Amino acid sequence: MTAETETGSPIAAVARGWAAPAAHALRIVLILVGILVVAQSFWMVQARPQDLVTGIFGMADFLRRATPPDFSRLDAAIWPTLETVDIAIFGTIMGVIMAVPLALMAAANVTPARWVYFVARGIIGFARAVPDLVWALLFVTAVGLGPFPGGLALAVHSIGMLGRLFAETIEQMDMAPVDALRLTGARHVQIFTHAIVPTLLPSFLGISLYRLDENIRSSLVLGFVGAGGIGFQLLTYMNLFDYRKVSLYLIITFVLVLGAERVSAILRAKLA
Amino acid sequence: MLRVRRLSLRYPNGKLALADFDLTVRAGEFAIVLGGNGSGKTTLLRCIVRTLNPTAGEVWVSETELTRLEGDKLRRARLELAMISQHASLVKRRSVLANVATGSLGRHYSLRTDLGGFPQEELVAAQSCLGEVGLAELSGQRAGTLSGGQAQRVSIARALAQRPRVLLADEPVASLDPEAAEEIMRLLRRLAVEGNLAVLCVLHQIDLAYSYADRIVGVRDGRKIFDEPPAELPREVVRHLYVDRAA
Repeated sequence: MTAETETGSPIAAVARGWAAPAAHALRIVLILVGILVVAQSFWMVQARPQDLVTGIFGMADFLRRATPPDFSRLDAAIWPTLETVDIAIFGTIMGVIMAVPLALMAAANVTPARWVYFVARGIIGFARAVPDLVWALLFVTAVGLGPFPGGLALAVHSIGMLGRLFAETIEQMDMAPVDALRLTGARHVQIFTHAIVPTLLPSFLGISLYRLDENIRSSLVLGFVGAGGIGFQLLTYMNLFDYRKVSLYLIITFVLVLGAERVSAILRAKLA
Repeated sequence: MLRVRRLSLRYPNGKLALADFDLTVRAGEFAIVLGGNGSGKTTLLRCIVRTLNPTAGEVWVSETELTRLEGDKLRRARLELAMISQHASLVKRRSVLANVATGSLGRHYSLRTDLGGFPQEELVAAQSCLGEVGLAELSGQRAGTLSGGQAQRVSIARALAQRPRVLLADEPVASLDPEAAEEIMRLLRRLAVEGNLAVLCVLHQIDLAYSYADRIVGVRDGRKIFDEPPAELPREVVRHLYVDRAA
């Protein structure tokens, strides 16, 4: 906060540019403030390099006890893995279903009314501003433990992310084909299906696939707050000090994240 | 054919954009409108298709008067009028053939067309429209991959799929290179003659107008200044359209 009051606005700084000494002093103050900000952050997180050194032995101990990964329990891991992927699919699809109408209302060029635009933008902004982990905590409280609150959390957070990107895509849409079709005598439904849908659909699919990839990553950690999937297993075995199962799940996580990323990227490349 | 009688447009602020405009374009005739920026030539086209509402006068297409029609009647009467503009305005993600076939949508209100489909016979017709503009072999290609000249020809094919009697063109070559521009002008002229269409084309290029028009119409300050075949129109008169506009 002090940084802003002491340095003043950029306009003021430029206006004072003729007074070289003043500008010089300002620069020194700015550097000092910068150092102060970094220093206090190190102090706040209680960064102690010596702990990192002793920590290496802790990590080595963990790795020793975690190897080899307990592949005998791979069959038991299939279910939570599937659950993680399905939470992401559910969240993405529900998110898309709700984000499309919201985006139509939140795009300045097609919104039916000004107040609708602001309400839709507000809902989208709120859904995005609250992190998915926090949504999961709320939904676990509301509907209990399990994959369902995880799916709901991803759905709501996805509305926020998808809604904004969809709305921006609509706003940047080329309206000339729409006007051309209107002149040929096409009716509203036809204009929608023949000009608007084919223009937007590939972009929307690409955005949704990207979201699915992100949601699979989010879904992995949702289990930490009791919303099912791999995260829940990781937490459980961590608490039981069963590190060989923990490492098994870490490998699954690694494969899953990279796999989802690749598949999503390949599908999006096909769409482009 | 197209007949415009005493067409006027006065904006609410009192400015007269179009004043008592008379114009007839017969079937098979290629008329080109010249005039400076803001002279009212685009306004003329927009009043004819009724994207602007003229304040007085009549627009006749064949036996129908357009200016007093509203809603569905206007929409049906307007099927006779096809419009192409400076930009091809194609749906880039769809195939060339689908883009052409959208010109026929006004004749087919059905569940199939509402869901993004086309009647089989219109796709066949669209293919032959593409042949008319010389792009039959590109029908499967995505519209986004076309060059500017090709895209403009596809937009002309889309206008043909509408099966109009009158073809309006608003600076159809403004964003094309000279060679592509000549090609479009040749095509429009051929469509007028062979397709027996009344073609009304707004243009900025005096030379193109002289090469292709049956009649050149000069517009200035919303009024018709001349309306002559190129052979009887001295270039000096045309050039006068563009000079001392400030006076």
